[in-house]
Amino acid sequence: MTETLTRTERKATSVPQRRDSRRSNLLSILLWLCALYFVLPLVWLLIASTKDNSDLFSTFGFWFGRGFSLWDNLVSVFTVRDGQFARWGLNTIIYAGVSAIGASLLATMAGYAFAKYKFPGATAMFSVILGAIMIPLTALALPTYLIFNSIHLTNTMWAIIVPSLVSPFGVYLMRVYAADSVPDSLLEAARMDGAGELRIFWQVGIRLLSPGIVTVFLFSLVATWNNYFLPLIMLNSSDLYPLTVGLAQEQSASAAGGGAQALFSTVITGSFISVVPLVIAFLFLQRYWQSGLATGSVKG
Amino acid sequence: MLKATKRATALAASVVVTALTLAGCSSSDNGGSPVPSSSKAGQAEIDKAMNTPTTLTFWTWVSDIDDEVKLFEQKYPQIKVNVENVGQGPDQYQKLRTALKSGNGAPDLAQIEYQHIPSFTITKSLLNLTPYGAGDLKSNYPEWIWNQVSQDGSVYAVPQDSGPMGHLYRSDIMKKAGITSPPKTWDEYAADAKIVKEKTGSYIGDIASNEPVGMVGLLWQAGAQPFGFDGNKTVTIDVNSAEAKKVYSYWQNLIQQDLVSTDPDFNDQWYQGFSNDKYAGWVTAAWGPLFLQGTVKDTAGKWAAAPLPQWNAGDNVSGNWGGSTNAVLSTTKNPIAAYELAKFINTDPASTKLLNTQQNLFPAMNSVLNEASFTDATSDFFGGQKINELFAQISPTVNTKFQWLPFMDYAYSEFNNTVGNAMTNKGDLSAAADQWQDKLVGYAKQQGFTAQQ
Repeated sequence: MTETLTRTERKATSVPQRRDSRRSNLLSILLWLCALYFVLPLVWLLIASTKDNSDLFSTFGFWFGRGFSLWDNLVSVFTVRDGQFARWGLNTIIYAGVSAIGASLLATMAGYAFAKYKFPGATAMFSVILGAIMIPLTALALPTYLIFNSIHLTNTMWAIIVPSLVSPFGVYLMRVYAADSVPDSLLEAARMDGAGELRIFWQVGIRLLSPGIVTVFLFSLVATWNNYFLPLIMLNSSDLYPLTVGLAQEQSASAAGGGAQALFSTVITGSFISVVPLVIAFLFLQRYWQSGLATGSVKG
Repeated sequence: MLKATKRATALAASVVVTALTLAGCSSSDNGGSPVPSSSKAGQAEIDKAMNTPTTLTFWTWVSDIDDEVKLFEQKYPQIKVNVENVGQGPDQYQKLRTALKSGNGAPDLAQIEYQHIPSFTITKSLLNLTPYGAGDLKSNYPEWIWNQVSQDGSVYAVPQDSGPMGHLYRSDIMKKAGITSPPKTWDEYAADAKIVKEKTGSYIGDIASNEPVGMVGLLWQAGAQPFGFDGNKTVTIDVNSAEAKKVYSYWQNLIQQDLVSTDPDFNDQWYQGFSNDKYAGWVTAAWGPLFLQGTVKDTAGKWAAAPLPQWNAGDNVSGNWGGSTNAVLSTTKNPIAAYELAKFINTDPASTKLLNTQQNLFPAMNSVLNEASFTDATSDFFGGQKINELFAQISPTVNTKFQWLPFMDYAYSEFNNTVGNAMTNKGDLSAAADQWQDKLVGYAKQQGFTAQQ
């Protein structure tokens, strides 16, 4: 249902309007520069993952080297240290997947409640959540570590998943989104028909909110996928590492002095593999992402 | 990028330690492990411990050391070992300190570099291995290595690998410059540097401005005693002694004449420097040859190795750069099994052979250093030279009495801020060393040490 909605919306906006005819060369150039700025590192990563160590250091970065060793690199990524890379990948998927689903669910429920119910302390609680947006996750990592340490949860999967379940920004976004896209009259009608509050939320609210939910899902997915600091301090067991920490560790093996291993091409290819799922997730969920992003900006 | 990440990691982890201290988490320095303090553990005790089902945790960054551990598990089927890689060097130490402070999660054994042993003995975090029979290992090692792991009759770790220093150079570039034999003294090295630069445009080497450990190795060779620690409250700090200043002013002269470069090492630019002939050599350690083979394959066959140039013609002394040990943490519940594991990995003939051939570690033990299959091996990368034999001969020439501070992390980061900075800016290294000295003495006093200069 939502899909058709967005599609019709799109059609509506794609009807030629006056502002479309105004072209700005300056803007085009700026946007192209922006695109280059963001794409170039990826291009470099792609090209570098086809080189072996010596090509990496002796040939031009933005063109292919003398040999084509993408296949060797891939093999090495999945065989170095008994193929721990696959384990790290699986961990990352678990951490990011569970956290993103949990975080979007919690944020949706909280945002919906803030937008649609009046209850004592609502304003105060929402202010606290707004304040929490200002605190970066990194700053909370240390207190979190201390708490988890005292309840002996460090070096477990929970140490990564539990802190990633809360997303203050997600709550804020969902509140704004729910206020706009779930009409009070619809809720009233549902109540008149005798639906309970929970049922209204699951069957009416959630469906109307899905573009917003996808946005929060993507935000949390990316945040947890790329999280480095929290797993770094929480985990001691390489079987639990996500890709970020694992790759950083393989990278540092090159400067180990005695017994150093120069795993550069392996690490680069591993990094490339690790961004592919994110790119795919974005391409698939893009349309929701766009409509979700625009939501907060129109009405606050 | 790597360095920045590392610094961030180190910072983060040190914040954790501080936070734990502030939070007043109880830390037990001496775990309740049964230590037979008076006499050596009897064979009966050892047999009993090795036949009791036990799980040991071993933190190490040496890759694929599981192979050696498997040999141990075959010999002692009751003992299971979890090998964990929690990071290399400083990253692991910070995690270790955090675990020790927080009172849980510390392993039974850990990989620790020689230079960082005092920073763990000062918190009494390492088990004295003498009661478990470690004293018997002494005769297996060159004197300088044994001095690195023992103090006043206590032994705190079992040596694993070492890094006696030598000089690797590109014989083809040297030849192009008309130099047929490697420099035997530092004076010759300086003279050659000039010729190489003029004739070929290459630097004779790179003295990395971010590599305090390499510079300290050169101080070591020059007979300087920059650091000392009595194991208790007194540290000796003398990084600006006459011997040390001789080394600084030597390199300052080469740097200011632009005859050596000061590029930071182990980063892109530095690797490229080896590939594109920017550097004609590398003053490095025994692990250097194998490292180069992995990174600059296309220069294979063009390399050669020689002992370090000497300060006085006819001398034969070297320093050490790198190398590490396996130490048993004092919090372990299984001290006997943990020590036996450390001993097995690093002294069992099959295991030490693997360490050298699989992990490419340069051996610490005399028996491996002198073994024919080790010394006779030739290296194609070095034009068929017997690299192992060369460095095995260098190992006993390392100055024997060299000590460290219990806060080498701080000492190294201040090196980068003072001497390293002066190297980058082609400034006055000796003056920078005076600053380094002041910083270290100030820090030592602030930490409650008595600082001798």
